[in-house]
Amino acid sequence: MPVPEYPSGTVRALLCTSHISEATRAALQARLDAPAAYVPQLLAPEAYALLEAVAARLFPQPDRADAPIPLAPAVDQRLAEGRADGWRYDALPPDREAYRLGLGGIQEIAQALFQADFIALDARQQDAVLQALADGRPPGATWATLDAGRFFEELLAELTETYYAHPLAQEEIGYVGMADLPAWTKIGLNEKEDREVVMGE
Amino acid sequence: MPDEEVLEEGVLNPVKPEIQDPLLRALLADEPAAATPVAADTPLEQPQAIAPETDEVDCVVIGLGAGGAPLLARLAMAGLKVVALEAGPWHNPEKDFATDEKAQDFLFWNDERLAAGHDPLAMGKNNSGTGVGGSTLHYTAYTPRPLPDDLLIRRDFGKGEDWPVSYQELEPYYEEIEQFLGISGPTPYPWGPARRKGYPLAPLPLNSAAQLMVRGAEKVGIRTSPAANAALSARYYQEGIGWREACTNRGFCQAGCSNGAKASMDVTFIPLAVKHGADIRPNSFVTEIERDARGYITGMVYTQNGEQKRQRCRHLFLCGGSVETPRLLLLNELALTSGQVGRNLMAHPGLQVWGTFADEVRPNKGIPGGLISQDTHRPKDADFAGGYLLQSIGVMPVTFAGQVARGRKLWGQPLRDYMRQYNHIAGINILGDCLPHADNFMELADEKDARGLPKPRLHFTAQENEQRMNAHAEKTMRAIWEAAGATDIWAFQRYAHVIGTARMGLSGDDAVVDANGRAFDVPNLYISDNSTFPSALSVNPALTIMALSLRTADKFLEQQQRRDG
Repeated sequence: MPVPEYPSGTVRALLCTSHISEATRAALQARLDAPAAYVPQLLAPEAYALLEAVAARLFPQPDRADAPIPLAPAVDQRLAEGRADGWRYDALPPDREAYRLGLGGIQEIAQALFQADFIALDARQQDAVLQALADGRPPGATWATLDAGRFFEELLAELTETYYAHPLAQEEIGYVGMADLPAWTKIGLNEKEDREVVMGE
Repeated sequence: MPDEEVLEEGVLNPVKPEIQDPLLRALLADEPAAATPVAADTPLEQPQAIAPETDEVDCVVIGLGAGGAPLLARLAMAGLKVVALEAGPWHNPEKDFATDEKAQDFLFWNDERLAAGHDPLAMGKNNSGTGVGGSTLHYTAYTPRPLPDDLLIRRDFGKGEDWPVSYQELEPYYEEIEQFLGISGPTPYPWGPARRKGYPLAPLPLNSAAQLMVRGAEKVGIRTSPAANAALSARYYQEGIGWREACTNRGFCQAGCSNGAKASMDVTFIPLAVKHGADIRPNSFVTEIERDARGYITGMVYTQNGEQKRQRCRHLFLCGGSVETPRLLLLNELALTSGQVGRNLMAHPGLQVWGTFADEVRPNKGIPGGLISQDTHRPKDADFAGGYLLQSIGVMPVTFAGQVARGRKLWGQPLRDYMRQYNHIAGINILGDCLPHADNFMELADEKDARGLPKPRLHFTAQENEQRMNAHAEKTMRAIWEAAGATDIWAFQRYAHVIGTARMGLSGDDAVVDANGRAFDVPNLYISDNSTFPSALSVNPALTIMALSLRTADKFLEQQQRRDG
């Protein structure tokens, strides 16, 4: 089916209404207000730049060229604070080590396939590097000991969950579930409240 | 427990919308706000003198989820002096709970567990909980009863284990809990034996996914019914608790209910326990269980807000769930003679099938599990033991996106394009039985967590029975979704609920606790949570955990009476 278009500004407009609780507004507004500049706390500058470049291909945002939804800061912050999400694949080393090794491994794939750093590659080449990683059998010494498939899955899942937690990404998919006060009364097929976005406009 | 007249009066009385019970009002209004999470990265300090706590209490309950809270209330109501130690904080849902998945991460047990085997179990938000209320703070509220033969899988198939407790023994507890929690469901219930009492409230309204499943299942000849859910379809009054408001269809059950409509333990059994004098201590993480020369438990050491404390007790009820309960037993070398602690780890096959519809679905709205079918409980064409239930599922966007990333391996523009169809996506899933297997177990790893304790490592590999069940279920669900008009159908392999790591049985040779939850090795230790399940059952575990919890309390109280009398 054709990809629907959603009007922009919906979540941001709803944030100012009484349909959103204080706790909900605080969480969403903080993401909108996060400063664009971020100094990495844990990853070395080169590793962080590489992570940003990888994130830019896993979530290309040509529609937000000036101000993409930031994805790399959440990873670096989490690693710096030592936060976990309750579990880890036993096949992978602890998160900090996995990211350090994995990012180095992405450089190895780039070198093996194109004899250049990942950052120096064009978008098509970068995608080829990431596809080799996603396919689970990339070239490079790192991947003899680091499970490529699991590393890619964890990396992609973390960036994905960060992306879709952002109000602008939620506008993109027409999600307004945060505006749940006082209640949803129209919950069946093809039913919606006035405050829910009309698609395709 | 419920007085039907009061119930009727309450449901029909539209006058007072406020919570009438002053205690619950106080609880919801201010008290829990005091709870601040303990810094997770505080390592165990150097050994230091712990102030002796001279006050011995009758019972300590460790863990305040579905296993701990019901028995806590029962013991307090019997007049016993009870203390509850809960590792997590005490929240004020109305004020603290956001309609935002990431902001609600604090509901999960986020200390790292290691997931091993061919089908590693996702923990965290998939499978754990912390806080006063435990995992019920984020359970989906799906509360079907098991069918009687669920408890007799070995009798019927020669595989797995039978329960030392019968359905008939549990039935009065199911009924009591359904009435007490205010479960919304169909009466009569279409599957299983006739019931003495129907559900106290009518089913919750069907959301889009439920309506689509009705459409598809009708065409392929599978019966469906609105499901039983522990969320209120109307205001509900309970003596000792007060009024709870009806569900507002937020669809955020798995990220915490903010208005008390969902029957999590913090708005049901815990206020009841507090009213009867239970002492609730949040942010209290137990590190050590102390015994005397005879092997009886005498007390425990715990850390509360960075301070080490000791509590002495006559009886201990361990209700930490299927990971923390065996971890405490293993760390303290307690109740280990059967060799079964940590073994028999089971997880429910929870395969999901997703599809895209021309209709507008908006899958975030309404009770997520609106519909059920138990026609697949014992499928005629099955090549496996046991069976499964079918369920329609709603889904929140971040959870769904994460599953798309992991399960569909989409990335880049294709991932963004697919996610733009979010409002047209609907899913169904199964909840299937699982057989214990020698390869599936929990152990303590050498790697330490932020508290300085060994991390639990969970080994799980789906065996032939689970694989065959998944294959059967995928075929069934794809047929339903095709009949309902779905396109771009895909399946997501998933396992939920950790079960069985301290199982009950008839003998201490092959079980950790007896049918009453009492440890064979330690006479004053009881276990109440899903670690005691001898088999996984083909339904969600919460209702049965609560039923066993009340039964354990009653058996304990009977025994105390006999001893005193």
